[in-house]
Amino acid sequence: MKEILKRLSLAFGPSGCEDAVKEAIKKEIDAFLPKAKDVTEDQMGNLIIHIGGNGPKLMISAHMDEVGFMVTGITKGGALKFGTVGGIDPLCLGAKRVVSESGVKGAIKAKPIHLLSKEERGQAPKIKNLLIDIGANSKKEAEALTFVGDYFTFDSDYIEYGEGLIKCKALDDRLGCAIMCQLIKDIYENNIVPCYDLYFAFTTREEIGYSGAYGASMRVRPEYAVIIESKAVADIEGVSEDKEVCRLGDGVIISFADRGTIYDRDFVRHIKSLADKNEIKNQTNRYISGGNDSMHIQKNAEGAKVSTLSCASRYIHSQSDVIHVDDFYATYKTVLEIIKSEAPVKE
Amino acid sequence: MTELLKKLMFTPSVSGREDKIREVIRKEIEPYATEITVDRMGNLIARKKGNGKKIMFCAHMDEIGFFVTHISSNGDIKVSPVGGINAISAAYSEVISEKGVGGIIVPSTKDAPKCEDLYIDIGAKTKKQAEKKVEIGDFFVCAPKFKRLLNNRYIGRPFDDRVGCLALIEAIKSVSSENDLYFVFSVQEEVGGRGAKPATFGIEPEIGIALDVTAVGEKGGPNDMDVLIGKGCTVKIKDPSTICNPALVKEMRAIADKEGIKYQNEMLPFGGTDASPMQIAGKGVRVGVISIPSAHIHSSCEMIDINDLKEAVKLTIALASKL
Repeated sequence: MKEILKRLSLAFGPSGCEDAVKEAIKKEIDAFLPKAKDVTEDQMGNLIIHIGGNGPKLMISAHMDEVGFMVTGITKGGALKFGTVGGIDPLCLGAKRVVSESGVKGAIKAKPIHLLSKEERGQAPKIKNLLIDIGANSKKEAEALTFVGDYFTFDSDYIEYGEGLIKCKALDDRLGCAIMCQLIKDIYENNIVPCYDLYFAFTTREEIGYSGAYGASMRVRPEYAVIIESKAVADIEGVSEDKEVCRLGDGVIISFADRGTIYDRDFVRHIKSLADKNEIKNQTNRYISGGNDSMHIQKNAEGAKVSTLSCASRYIHSQSDVIHVDDFYATYKTVLEIIKSEAPVKE
Repeated sequence: MTELLKKLMFTPSVSGREDKIREVIRKEIEPYATEITVDRMGNLIARKKGNGKKIMFCAHMDEIGFFVTHISSNGDIKVSPVGGINAISAAYSEVISEKGVGGIIVPSTKDAPKCEDLYIDIGAKTKKQAEKKVEIGDFFVCAPKFKRLLNNRYIGRPFDDRVGCLALIEAIKSVSSENDLYFVFSVQEEVGGRGAKPATFGIEPEIGIALDVTAVGEKGGPNDMDVLIGKGCTVKIKDPSTICNPALVKEMRAIADKEGIKYQNEMLPFGGTDASPMQIAGKGVRVGVISIPSAHIHSSCEMIDINDLKEAVKLTIALASKL
């Protein structure tokens, strides 16, 4: 499953430009797609796979897109002005490697520390003052390589380091996509009959809020939904315990609430008890922050009972998302247990 | 009426945790409704079937409060606000958890506190002791209160929006109408009108009426508004989240005038109600709002005039049968 994660994370896919990721996903599950009840690519670019099974409708979703950059202008000198696609802290940007959809490499310009004035030192740059350097010496040279509206993402390597840590760009949310690919394999290779009428939705545009999941859930109209995500944490020195949210290596995060969603309490309890029963390490969030596709899925159409399962991610939305491999497997195992277990009975 | 109102107010239920208040309301209305359902998000929907217009009335069951997010080593309870908590008002208020654990909200600063500065002291000396009483994800609310003052005025909490729930309950009990009536007790209004949207989508009403509290131009208070306590319920014209359907507003006023119901015209400069998600749910709905004027909204001690609530009940019943 780590190999899938590596391949998917290195694929190019900022919000609104997810085709390469979708192709990479389809390649992973190529052999199983003909076995699915239905495979749909909808108007918003979501890839929805209907597996089927016995029970209420469950949609498991993860988003394909990642944060990135869009070219907004080209200077006379051939540098690229850009805006961010999704939330990126300017502090993460100076002198970082970037790459365009067509493979043009570049770096984000930054003055070397030697040349910064006293006032400039220690100041976060403003996005509007930053430029991408693609090595062009004139506007004309640059225009041969890129255009206004072109996408860039971080150009980052997949690295395993420390004790079980994985570093790459776009682990948010390729880890969710990788888990879903693995689950589809498991289902068909091991003849698992899901205890739900199961759908997988690989969604678009989560990072910009105009969620593809909106369209996907309107199409599927699930009764239950599980969103697989990566969750921003701050388990780093200098952050007090009550603000670190969660810790890497402490297991799958079963959230009770975030800024966008208060999760269905009965469904959350059901999932927590499945994790406990199967001795899967789990934790809950100790700070309320962030939001994801679940905010749309929960209240779309007639509404859905939602839960988000996430892996803690350090340095999220940068070239160096870092997750713990144990959390990755714990998340996968928990979702697998959900699929294999009867839906919670109410009253 | 005040007994039932008090009962509703003394059943703490923050957004996303409406199970208890839902059961209280369900018991109250069961004998009067044609059918009662609870949808996936937890909205309680009572129907009084008819052959006329499909009208949906909506009041929210949830209230603002706090979620426990962390328990410190010294037993302090760190919390995160649920809905629009006014940190200055909340500071030093008595609170109670869903499990009945009492406590007090303490700000960790001497300056005007923000929500992130608030923590709850339940009297625990250690983390271990606190963990026996409270767990992450539990909710706390400012302690319910209900007390009569001069001139039919009552102070307490949460009037928002148990007064709307009460108006709906009273209407279900006494209305007789040709119309196909849906009474929705919605969830998660205080965190952005999340529950009313799927409820409306499922019902597909022609007309939607939300019942909620509205702010007032208080004596010496901060709001520049014409609406006052004790001058009747209101018919909302607009707030930042909704422009009420002008034809419906006109109809509502005409019915109120004909029935001799005391009302005020409401323009609310901040906030919003379930009318906002109702209006744009499904294929769209004509919406209006009946409000009960309340001073000190979202504080740990709100104030209403009980006669304004009585007018709101009358208007709800009149609209249910005459729209």
